[in-house]
Amino acid sequence: MTDLLECRDCGHRTYYEKHRCLECGGAEFDAVPAGNGELLSVTTVHVTPEGVREPNALGLAAFPGGANVVAQLDEELSIGDEVRLVGDRELRVTEDGPLWGVRIAAAE
Amino acid sequence: MTAQKREARAVDASPVRGDSPAITGAGMTAFANADDRSLLELLLVAAERALDDADRDPAGVDSVHVGNMAAEAFNERSGLANALVGGLGMTGVTARRIENTSASGASAFQSAVAAVASGRSDRALAVGGEKMSAADTATATEIISRITHDREYEQGVTLPSFGGLAAAAYLRGSDADRRDLARVAVKNHANASSNEYAQFRKRIAVDDVLASPAVAEPLRLYDCCPTSDGAAAVLIESGPAESDDAVRVAACESATGTHAVADRADPLEIESVRTAGERAYDAAGFGADAVDIACIHDAFTILEWLEMEELGLAPAGRAWELTRDGETDLDGALPVNPGGGLKARGHPLGATGISQVIELVWQLRGDLPDERAVDGAARGLAVNVAGFGNNAVCTLLEGDA
Repeated sequence: MTDLLECRDCGHRTYYEKHRCLECGGAEFDAVPAGNGELLSVTTVHVTPEGVREPNALGLAAFPGGANVVAQLDEELSIGDEVRLVGDRELRVTEDGPLWGVRIAAAE
Repeated sequence: MTAQKREARAVDASPVRGDSPAITGAGMTAFANADDRSLLELLLVAAERALDDADRDPAGVDSVHVGNMAAEAFNERSGLANALVGGLGMTGVTARRIENTSASGASAFQSAVAAVASGRSDRALAVGGEKMSAADTATATEIISRITHDREYEQGVTLPSFGGLAAAAYLRGSDADRRDLARVAVKNHANASSNEYAQFRKRIAVDDVLASPAVAEPLRLYDCCPTSDGAAAVLIESGPAESDDAVRVAACESATGTHAVADRADPLEIESVRTAGERAYDAAGFGADAVDIACIHDAFTILEWLEMEELGLAPAGRAWELTRDGETDLDGALPVNPGGGLKARGHPLGATGISQVIELVWQLRGDLPDERAVDGAARGLAVNVAGFGNNAVCTLLEGDA
């Protein structure tokens, strides 16, 4: 799921599911492709919860429409790089099985 | 600032009057990496110390507000407020537990202050505590990371992860260097060295911070607060206080931020802290320039800077200069975290917010030995933050300096 959620009322986008838009309170969202974004910050985490890769390289990326995303880096990237979301990555292992989701990769 | 945010109102703001609530007693346990006593015992000890300090009997208390984040997960128990009042031999009082993750202590304090300010309670006891040593590090990390949004959780994001992202962005966008950030931890350890209640009483140097293991780059182990066992309590009474050395609660206000950290437009903004601070200054009738001493939620060194800037205690992007210039030292123009902060006093989640208030009370009353006292402090600020800014509680206290 590399899409973002776009508020049907005001157009503001978010990656984080919620019942109401943070900007206008709207309750309807449409899934839209994230497109390319910019990497604002990166960190490498060396102490991670059980079932999470260690070290865990994470990035904070800004996408069009006001949506920022914190996600695992799929490759080595630097602040300022143009990036995209890639899907179907195994992010962590839990007692109930693996959790799959998006990572941040270089824009094509 | 959106329309919806502009319309958000502080629901429990109360104008400060000459008879605003007063803190008449304060007491805590020494914070420790591991304390043999049970969580309930820690809460009882802190509560009794606060009552003794106020020279009050438990029978005179009519409401009890207990701050704790995760006793179910750490200690496999609940019902803390009822167990605590039972242990104190109290019946017929109003008692409840308040949970607001790492700001549970300040939220319990806010609840007690509101109870007194509204006239519903004459004497309110706020007690916060956490016993984190019962879980191993991996379990504790997992418990704390469970406060995140599902989309954050699946990425394996931890609280230090957000600290690392913020620190990397701050250092890149300012003239501060990595050594300046280390100075925050060095200062807080120096302040804790003479605090008998602090978990870490060891002085450290900048090089020690830089040599400690990486946790979430650029943050290292010595940039991060520890996990701790401890409890803290204060007694709040309706004014005017009978005792000469009571400290007035000029304001206690709170605000939420976004739940998902990345939903903030700027990774260096913590709007919850800014809004809670603005509401507190408005309610107290004075601003950042009148604050003599501050207890800031330094779960990570970078947070001390970000929160100081949000609270107007430092210009935007410039808090690092105050640290570098010694302005935030114990003998500086604005001492920050004189008791050692979360970094060195320790961070038992539910106790921290109340321990910050206690530090201010001791400073404003002039109770402390010379080597750790801030001379002539009359007004103090404390900010206790839930998660990485999900929620913040800002308290302003005034003494009789």
